[in-house]
Amino acid sequence: MSDKQRVSRRQFLNYTLTGVGGFMAAGMLAPMVRFAIDPVLTPQAAGEFHSVAPVEEITNEPQRFEWQVEQVDAWYESKVQKTAWVYRNKDDEIVALSPICTHLGCTVGWASNQEYPNQFYCPCHGGRYTKDGVNVPGTPPTAPLPVYKTKVQENMLYLGETQSRQGA
Amino acid sequence: MQWTKRDTKQYLPEKEYVDTVLIPIISFDPASDNKMTKEAFQRELNQVFATLIEKEFKGRIFLSPEYYYLTNQHESEIPRVNQWVEHFQKQPFEHVFLFTFDAKWKKYESDLNGHLLWIPGIADGDLQSTETQSFVKEQVKQVNELIQAYW
Repeated sequence: MSDKQRVSRRQFLNYTLTGVGGFMAAGMLAPMVRFAIDPVLTPQAAGEFHSVAPVEEITNEPQRFEWQVEQVDAWYESKVQKTAWVYRNKDDEIVALSPICTHLGCTVGWASNQEYPNQFYCPCHGGRYTKDGVNVPGTPPTAPLPVYKTKVQENMLYLGETQSRQGA
Repeated sequence: MQWTKRDTKQYLPEKEYVDTVLIPIISFDPASDNKMTKEAFQRELNQVFATLIEKEFKGRIFLSPEYYYLTNQHESEIPRVNQWVEHFQKQPFEHVFLFTFDAKWKKYESDLNGHLLWIPGIADGDLQSTETQSFVKEQVKQVNELIQAYW
């Protein structure tokens, strides 16, 4: 037996207790840390873009495009149909408007009322929006139609989440 | 608006704008083996229709919980349907639509206190197929125009 490697009874107990204590502390802290940073780890679905239409189909006249999105509400996953009114404005930029009326959520149509051929019209309470989606004062809606974030890649138009706007 | 917590909360303060209720009328008979599949399909189809109509007119139409009744018991159901209508009218809902694929209601239309919206629908099919979907979309468009004609 060499003296070098000798561990006293006291030292041995110290080492074991520190080791076991460390394990227990780590075991308690790990889930806490995990919960604390959990929101960072979950994949962000909101920022996703979905392909909607080939760019050459988009004209100066608003057209209705539909696509499907997987939506998770709490524990419930469902396919949701999304719709947008898409057109090119005077500066040749692509504009994609949400069709959901900012009044009570009906679906607005482009030029769907003969009296207002150049406006978005809500069939429920006669809400109207100009071509750029701004609500016409004096009609029920109090905010413009939300716009979709747009992205063009390889001649396909991709739409992301909507942004609500303040306005008239 | 749908019969959910979120929508009813939104409905109550905005009552004056929501003046129409749509009640899906759905028949079923759990005792009959040969009708079961067809009736289940019709129920699904009715739900698809009703939610599409509701989505288009969310701010003006309230979608009622479905009204279920045993197949071919129309006469005895009339008082109960009318009771539903009466309670909805207390809200007050000005226009009450009864939405069904069951043609036999046509005969009792005048006894019902709401507008009967009967459409032929499809007897059988696949809800996922693109033909059914485009057919349904086209029909929903027509029904929407019909509803608008009452406003």
